[in-house]
Amino acid sequence: MAEQKMVTFIIERQDGPDAKPYTEEFDVPYRPALNVVAALMEIQKNPVTRDGKRVAPVVWECNCLEKVCGACMMVINGQAKQACCALVEDLEQPIHLAPARTFPVIRDLLIDRTVMFESLKKIQGWINVDGSWKVHEAPRQNPNTAATAYEISHCMTCGCCMEACPNVGPQSDFIGPAPVVQAYLFNINPLGEYDKPKRLEALMQKGGITSCGNSQNCVRACPKNIKLTTYLAQLNRDVNIQAIKNIFNN
Amino acid sequence: MYNVTFYLRRLHSIAGLVCLGGFLLEHILTNARVLISPASFNSAVDLLASIPWYIMLPLEIGLVATPFLFHTIYGIYIAWQAKNNPQHYPYINNIQFFLQRLTAWFLVVFLAWHVFYLRILVKGGGTHISFQLLQSYFENPVYWVLYLLGMWAAIFHFCNGITTFCMTWGIAKGPRIQQVINAGAMGLCAFLCLVSLAFMAVYLM
Repeated sequence: MAEQKMVTFIIERQDGPDAKPYTEEFDVPYRPALNVVAALMEIQKNPVTRDGKRVAPVVWECNCLEKVCGACMMVINGQAKQACCALVEDLEQPIHLAPARTFPVIRDLLIDRTVMFESLKKIQGWINVDGSWKVHEAPRQNPNTAATAYEISHCMTCGCCMEACPNVGPQSDFIGPAPVVQAYLFNINPLGEYDKPKRLEALMQKGGITSCGNSQNCVRACPKNIKLTTYLAQLNRDVNIQAIKNIFNN
Repeated sequence: MYNVTFYLRRLHSIAGLVCLGGFLLEHILTNARVLISPASFNSAVDLLASIPWYIMLPLEIGLVATPFLFHTIYGIYIAWQAKNNPQHYPYINNIQFFLQRLTAWFLVVFLAWHVFYLRILVKGGGTHISFQLLQSYFENPVYWVLYLLGMWAAIFHFCNGITTFCMTWGIAKGPRIQQVINAGAMGLCAFLCLVSLAFMAVYLM
């Protein structure tokens, strides 16, 4: 029988939110179409490092395993990716895994993405339908903007764009490409449009769209191929118009 | 409340492109006169010097020095908030993002030296600027190289600024127009770098 091929993983670990990071190396038996999540499951079954030490299993997060939920985002060989669809055969070996340090690390590869939800609240990432008024039937969607809305609605708040963006991180208050572009999704909705000025106002605040530095990493990092830079430019246009309105309407 | 950040950012953008960019182009135009002849450069400098101080000084303070200081100070605050990562994401726009900040840091130091020495100490001290003065100044090869690098850094920072200005103001929205503008701006950058190399080379001859 041919010798079993092994894949080496070098994993940046951390025992707690304030603990010091350290690295450990693991060997995982190779099999065709092995992906990073499957490899992490192998390590979980048998958490023994390359030098034979038995350690606590590596902690990470995953759910859907088909690039829909966004939970398994981590830094793979330096770049933010979904671990579930990162195939070992496409990656340079040894494979380096690290948590996305743009977010607070909870343990090992597990991160806390609460900040993205908070940002979605800031930009009013919802549509107001409940109130004392009569709702009637839902308004018709423009099929052209509906296609764009469908595209942006693929966003799974995985945080790849946030990790890739040089302007997002503990050093800055930028809310990041994903939450900013979500404002556009609700702005083009026939009902959401009513609150467009509110969302644009939110984007003009500190840490809003003005913190974008046009590095355009987000559009390359997005696993859902959302044209983030295009919608950021559109929102830049919209906030500029809103600013002119603010100056001359008040 | 009043979206102060928003207006500061947009002011930073306008000040950079219009005031600083305009002043850079004026600098290149005047300096390029040495390519015609040193005498032509001297007459261009004399023409600028013939503007009475009570017109020139307010212009210098209002349209150059103030926007410069604002752009520099607010720019340092912006550059501080970036964690540059071209080693992990070696895309062209990300490298430009990094270079924009790298040239900015270099320009802060270079311009402080350049303005303090030539504008305040030499010209402010009453010395007349001429080709001959600069030629003797550039006999030190270190100065010559630093000035050429300063020119190139300023030219790149300005040209890359044209591209990002078009994105920030929502002028260029889609990827195609953004690429076209970027290519045009980088073409302009290469051309202006060659022009500055040419007029700097005259001082070596």
